[in-house]
Amino acid sequence: FMKYFQTLTGSRTIDNNDLEPILQKLKSHLTSKNVALDIAEKLVDSVGQSLQGKKLSTFQGVNSVVKQAMEEAVTRILTPKKTIDILRDVQAVRGTRPYTIVFSGVNGVGKSTNLAKICYWLTAHGYKVMMAACDTFRSGAIEQLKTHAERLNVEVFERGYGKDAASIAGEAIDYARATNHDVVLIDTTGRMQNNEPLMRALSKLVNQNTIDLVLFVGEALVGNDGVDQLVKFDKSLSLLADSTQTKVRTIDGIILTKFDTIDDKVGAAISMVYSTGHPIIFLGTGQNYTDLKRMNVKVVVKSLLN
Amino acid sequence: MVLADLGNQISSALANMSNSTIINEETIDTLLKEVGNALSRADVSLKLIIQMRKNIKEQLKLDAMAAGLNKRRIIKKVVFDELIKLLDPGVAPWKPTKGKSNIIMFVGLQGAGKTTSVTKLASFYKRKGWATAMVCADTFRAGAFDQLKHNATKAKIPFYGSDTDRDPVAVAKKGVDIFKKDGAEIIIVDTSGRHKQEEELFKEMKEIETVVKPDNVIFVMDSSIGQAAFDQATAFKNSVSVGSVIITKMDGNSKGGGAISAVAATKSPIIFIGTGEHIPDLDLFDASSFVSKLLGMGDVKGMMNM
Ligand SMILES: Nc1nc2c(ncn2[C@@H]2O[C@H](COP(=O)(O)OP(=O)(O)OP(=O)(O)O)[C@@H](O)[C@H]2O)c(=O)[nH]1
Ligand SMILES: Nc1nc2c(ncn2[C@@H]2O[C@H](COP(=O)(O)OP(=O)(O)OP(=O)(O)O)[C@@H](O)[C@H]2O)c(=O)[nH]1
Ligand SMILES: [Mg+2]
Ligand SMILES: [Mg+2]
Repeated sequence: FMKYFQTLTGSRTIDNNDLEPILQKLKSHLTSKNVALDIAEKLVDSVGQSLQGKKLSTFQGVNSVVKQAMEEAVTRILTPKKTIDILRDVQAVRGTRPYTIVFSGVNGVGKSTNLAKICYWLTAHGYKVMMAACDTFRSGAIEQLKTHAERLNVEVFERGYGKDAASIAGEAIDYARATNHDVVLIDTTGRMQNNEPLMRALSKLVNQNTIDLVLFVGEALVGNDGVDQLVKFDKSLSLLADSTQTKVRTIDGIILTKFDTIDDKVGAAISMVYSTGHPIIFLGTGQNYTDLKRMNVKVVVKSLLN
Repeated sequence: MVLADLGNQISSALANMSNSTIINEETIDTLLKEVGNALSRADVSLKLIIQMRKNIKEQLKLDAMAAGLNKRRIIKKVVFDELIKLLDPGVAPWKPTKGKSNIIMFVGLQGAGKTTSVTKLASFYKRKGWATAMVCADTFRAGAFDQLKHNATKAKIPFYGSDTDRDPVAVAKKGVDIFKKDGAEIIIVDTSGRHKQEEELFKEMKEIETVVKPDNVIFVMDSSIGQAAFDQATAFKNSVSVGSVIITKMDGNSKGGGAISAVAATKSPIIFIGTGEHIPDLDLFDASSFVSKLLGMGDVKGMMNM
């Protein structure tokens, strides 16, 4: 009888045989919630290691200990190490020069739409915002931006299709300075992370101009590829960085879009933040201007683990 | 295209099995786990993976009875057959009929690549000598009309759309009627992106289907999609009569497992894959030749010789 009592509640140490099946199940659970497999494996391993040899306190099952450790781990991952306060940063340079934000990412993730949402948000805070149409490739990209600009009553700087995006961005920033704009939002062409020439072109746009904030726009729908996208965008920004630069240019933050399409399959948030450590600044939750939300870490962690 | 990676991973899992001396429950479990991981890394829906592993195990139990047959050969064949089953729904792809107006309607999630693929497909039929036309029934997305208009000009294909009429049902009907009267043989209707959580938009999609009476509805899916693929694809299938699938952005790094999930959910064949942003970047898809490529012909032959 004593033995039975002990396995149920007793203060004994956790061993591998107890842990392994629970961890395997947890891994499958995370994968079904759309966490990339490699990330799910790493998470489960680190939780397993942290519990190895730990004592179970009375009335505590291994299951709940594992769950709690995982909850803490993902909460830690999703809680930003440094906060990016766009409003504060815009305010800091206001009157001296325009604050510049680049929207980057693979094709069709929602760069232009979420640029328009940010424009709406900044305008609502009283800033004079301008858009720069630097997607000079995709059919209709400029008209798309113009439509948003008209609705939001802001100016668009454009030089038509087929031109060099990096120089247009530069001209746009100069124009914004001359016209006393507080912020320039720079739209870019969608590109695949494995397309080296296009990644170089993005790096040029960012490094050739004074860019305050480089945002990576990714969609919550993405599966295992999300990690690769983010890592490659991060890396390629330093492709053309000049060697005298002291700070290596990386992505500064993430906008995770289409969060309204995934129910509780929130795993992409974990995969993306885990792989680079960059914070999720906003969630895109729809196609309207107000569908831009701060991430509630608690809610996301809850959907992930339930 | 990286779906081949999946083939490599599975082939090497099978090869590992050949090298280990004894085949028992444990070796089979290890193999199934490796195959499952390869599929999971490629974003195949977890539900499907579990089902497939179950199927394989059951098959093997049955075949184990057959005396004198080589176990390894049987195992390989069962795994291959199950993979083929995932990609090939066993339905012949829809084909247009000469001498009448064939109407094709495109549906899918936001940013999947519908509008781009509409032009690619129209251009494909035009090259084959069909009289082709396109209708823009996306009256929602900013710049959608201009996007298809630019593409139509580039591809020299007649196009109907309106930048003032906001009713997609009316625009779709008008466009289709005009081109029917003109005697167009292929009329492709582009629609707005939508997702299952938005009931109103699904209702709208059904209404468009009702008025344009499509001969085929094509579901477009982004190859990088993760675990949300199956549920979204199922919702589209349940709402309109999806008959074919196009998987886009296969020029990226994703392994395209969402494709497999879409086939399983819609029970419709993949007819084309998109391999770039330009109009000719559309490849015909044939499940059986694809699977043999995926697994490497050498393996199939090797398997037979064992
Ligand atoms: N449901 C939903 N749809 C979104 C969201 N953000 C953007 N979209 C939609 O996604 C589609 C693509 O958005 P875009 O802003 O054009 O994407 P993009 O990244 O600029 O695309 P490219 O410039 O072609 O690479 C559009 O239909 C948008 O309305 C979101 O948060 N939720
Ligand atoms: N690299 C690559 N990009 C593609 C492919 N197909 C489409 N795209 C890009 O994906 C983005 C979105 O494509 P669209 O055709 O606008 O997508 P959509 O489904 O019509 O989007 P919505 O109408 O907003 O729902 C664009 O940047 C396209 O150029 C492809 O096969 N490869
Ligand atoms: Mg865009
Ligand atoms: Mg479209």
